[in-house]
Amino acid sequence: MPRISRRQLLHAGLGTAALGLLSGCATPGTRSVNVAPTIASVPGQKITIEYWSWLKNLQPVADIWNAANPNVQVKTVWIPGGNQGGYPKLYSALAAGGGPDLAHVEYGVIPSFMMVNGLVDLTRYGADEFAGRYDKTLWSQSSYAGGVYGIPQDSGPMATFYQPEILDKVGATAPTSWDEWAQVAAELRKAKSYMDCFPLAEAGFFTALAAQAGAQWFRADADGWIINMTDDATMKVARFFDQAIDQDLVQTDFGAYSPGWFAAAGKGEIASLTSASWGDALVKGISGGAGKWKVAAMPRWGASGFGSSYLGGSAVSVLANSRHPRESLEFAAWLTSTQQGVDAEIEHCGIGWSPATDVIGTARQQPSEFFSGQNYNQDIFAPAALEQNTQWSWWPSQQQSFNILSDGFRFKASGTSLVDTVVDAEQKIMTVFKNSGLSIRKESA
Amino acid sequence: MTTPPTRTDPAGAAAARPGRTPNTGQRGSGRRTSAVERAPWLLLAPFLALFILTFILPILAALLSSFTKVTRSGLFGEAGITSKFAGFSNYAQALADGNFVASMGRMLLFGVVQVPVMIIMATILALLLESASARWPAFFRAAYFLPYGVPGVIATILWSFMYVPGLSPLIDIAGWFGLSPDFLGPSTVLWSIANIVTWSYTGYNMLIIIAQLKAIPAEVYEAAKMDGASPVKVALAIQLPLIKPALVLTTIFSIIGTLQLFAEPQVLKTVSPAIDSQYTPNLSAYTTAFAYNDYNVAAAQAVLIALVAFALSFAFLAFTNRKSS
Amino acid sequence: MTAQLTGSSPKPAVKPTAKSKAPGRKKGTSILVTGILVVAALYFLAPVYWVVVASTKSTADLFATNGFAFAETFNLWHNLSQVLSYDGGIFVRWFLNSVLYAGVGALLATYIAAAGGYALAKYKFRGANLVFGIILGGVLVPGTATALPLFLLFSQMGLANTYWSVLLPSLVSPFGLFLCRIYAQATVDPALLEAARLDGAGEIRIFHTVGLRVLTPALVTVFLFQLVGVWNNYFLPLVMLSDTKLYPITLGLNNWLSQVNRLPEFYQLTTGGVLLSIIPLAIAMVVLQRFWRGGLTEGSVK
Repeated sequence: MPRISRRQLLHAGLGTAALGLLSGCATPGTRSVNVAPTIASVPGQKITIEYWSWLKNLQPVADIWNAANPNVQVKTVWIPGGNQGGYPKLYSALAAGGGPDLAHVEYGVIPSFMMVNGLVDLTRYGADEFAGRYDKTLWSQSSYAGGVYGIPQDSGPMATFYQPEILDKVGATAPTSWDEWAQVAAELRKAKSYMDCFPLAEAGFFTALAAQAGAQWFRADADGWIINMTDDATMKVARFFDQAIDQDLVQTDFGAYSPGWFAAAGKGEIASLTSASWGDALVKGISGGAGKWKVAAMPRWGASGFGSSYLGGSAVSVLANSRHPRESLEFAAWLTSTQQGVDAEIEHCGIGWSPATDVIGTARQQPSEFFSGQNYNQDIFAPAALEQNTQWSWWPSQQQSFNILSDGFRFKASGTSLVDTVVDAEQKIMTVFKNSGLSIRKESA
Repeated sequence: MTTPPTRTDPAGAAAARPGRTPNTGQRGSGRRTSAVERAPWLLLAPFLALFILTFILPILAALLSSFTKVTRSGLFGEAGITSKFAGFSNYAQALADGNFVASMGRMLLFGVVQVPVMIIMATILALLLESASARWPAFFRAAYFLPYGVPGVIATILWSFMYVPGLSPLIDIAGWFGLSPDFLGPSTVLWSIANIVTWSYTGYNMLIIIAQLKAIPAEVYEAAKMDGASPVKVALAIQLPLIKPALVLTTIFSIIGTLQLFAEPQVLKTVSPAIDSQYTPNLSAYTTAFAYNDYNVAAAQAVLIALVAFALSFAFLAFTNRKSS
Repeated sequence: MTAQLTGSSPKPAVKPTAKSKAPGRKKGTSILVTGILVVAALYFLAPVYWVVVASTKSTADLFATNGFAFAETFNLWHNLSQVLSYDGGIFVRWFLNSVLYAGVGALLATYIAAAGGYALAKYKFRGANLVFGIILGGVLVPGTATALPLFLLFSQMGLANTYWSVLLPSLVSPFGLFLCRIYAQATVDPALLEAARLDGAGEIRIFHTVGLRVLTPALVTVFLFQLVGVWNNYFLPLVMLSDTKLYPITLGLNNWLSQVNRLPEFYQLTTGGVLLSIIPLAIAMVVLQRFWRGGLTEGSVK
């Protein structure tokens, strides 16, 4: 008999222990940091802030700050670029109750991080005092529901990099409209070159062009999200590239900046590249490309839409488990909006376009030898940065939405048009919203 | 976790034990019995404790989590997040996810092709190495086994260099013959992954089969020689049936391994746009958890993966048992 | 084993050695068989050869020259010193982490599995079959299926992103226990245990003095199996660890690889790192090869 009771005891003990553990096991990211009391900074105490970013060589930049701020030391940790592994790392660190003070987060995924209560609302720590230094559009892309969830770090105003010599073969120059672009592309095909790539595996490029054409896929309303991915602007872009791919006007075997692309661009098989300002550093990596490239404003969608768009671009956000939000915010502001910070970022990290209205960076005010002596930053990108879609707003689960789009785009080869994919994606994205417990409805026409 | 109850309960007996020398004498037998009774639990305790922590509890947690759902109010859940029991809706969502189901199908296709190819290759190499005609068998055996020591990630890094245009000597060599193979395209990349897996594990499976071959008694061969059986006949009629247990074992482990495929596609993803973020079931669960932040659906996916692995292993076992009986 | 296979003296009865099995085999067959073996060896060794060659090249040569041919400049030492010194010698740290996870993990896992397997084999007690059945089920559960929930569990316990988060799961080898049980059943003589009991040894001591000694061959196999398993593991540390300092070598090298697109110099770090990381393993595999012999089929062979 005592044997039996011992076993029962054992089972009972095990059962309670297991239940206790499991019931404490809530789904991660369901507690909000922004209703907790703010954390006061303690002056005079030596602290260390950690910043996770995929910018290369960032520590020397932080060291400039460190030299001037002995009490607030910044340590940088490299992580893989966003969707390539950086975000999963951040999410998992957050779920584990840890993570750095600061993280590199693209504008598009700020809402996704907010969904898991991963970001600190910086208005609670005085972000407003820095607002005036930044481009209004960018500032609004990190502001949601009355809070500020990131300090703009860079942006990617778009333009077209091109090889004048190759275009000259067919008597063309950089096209100013997408219709003209298609004509030049058709001519180039006869000369065995492609005008550009269209990445089927990544939805960012398509999204940027839809935004340029004037689309506004999401907007927030009092009772939830409103989606509209099938507006005229988006459909125009989808139809345009459906046709371009069908007529073999664009290269779809590889995307820009892939090893295959570098090889093709070096051989002149790719004549141009419509991409963001940060692409300049990568274009410079094309072997034998010096002096062969120039930059022009990107083609327009006729009379409607905007002169440029944004591809990439990111903010510095304070993560939920930071114990030094105010100091982190101060460093972020120094890094992204002072002459010293921006110049150092350009020198060491090859950072994208500066988000600060008054500082574009000393190095970007001179002509570039690689780009045929053109002063392309001041001449092309600075105006482009002012011609972007100001209505555009990002939304939660942007990464999943992009994956839904690119999953559909991949089927382009087997006959599914981009138009069909976009229409289908809209439905799927609405399901995603509902599954994550958010309310969403289709824009009524 | 199991330790406290098992240890504390018979504390008195344990304290009394040491000094005594329990002879076979009848007096000692009561204490002896309890010591012998306690011993297996003591010996099992560390294993059980860790097993419960790293197998049972996570599985329970996954089950619990897979039946939970989160609802958010406000645009981002900033106005409150609540968890509640969700029935099978996470499973329904996982199964309604075309990409996840497709990843399962992809792995089945992968397994149906890759596992037999690998096992057959391993068997042939084992038979050849154990045959009389092989020269320098020790060297070859070591060469074939070597890739097993290369972690999957590193093997993939290695092979990705063999696949990427511009770096790959294979593509360069094919170019001399006017070919331009694309190892990373949508229709080929699955088999490029299969190649990496085959490369990694063939030698290992071969070694297991060799071990079994070596256990075949010499008399069996002598008898076959008397009958004048050809080497091929010896292989087919004698060696293959006798190494069946090893083949069954390696096949089951390969099936489980196939469903776990993660490192290879995840690493190859950086060079192949054809690999999406839900290419394999595991990649799918990982993406759902850490990119889409839907831990509940990810838990449902993990449970489904385990169930399929179970089902396949049992089906294969049942199949081979039926065939042999 | 090696001696048996290469030795020329025919030793009939014991094992079917190569020569005894078929004396005077035709030369043509031998050439054919060896030919096949050579082709297979080329397949298995080519990527390894490539990385040896690649790690001697500069980044420019890596792209400009054929992968299987050496370039004119010999950059190996420069590359390797880069690998070892980059980021304050982080590579060495990754390597040591791997040694810790795999070495310590496998050692303890073997001991724990041996104790459990021995207990299940040598004692009759209520619940033994149930316990064994559940553990056997554990053999079939894909390790990656538990990794995600384990992460969620560990993060609640504050264990995620620590050495423990990778080490603890590495201590459990259901397969090792399975193997030890079978082996103990077949080889540990009950009379031996009874004799030890008569000498007055405690049960636990009997396990340490008699059990472990008899089980040694199986233990080596379990140890190696677990060692390679943990060394090769990628999913678990990937899920558990966000601090690069805790990374094992697999995660570390992948971290470098993911930087090559923006920074081509990482090609050299990655190839050099791959070379350095496979050298010790290659040696270990070749040296320890014979211990895998009995390996997994030990039980069924008896």
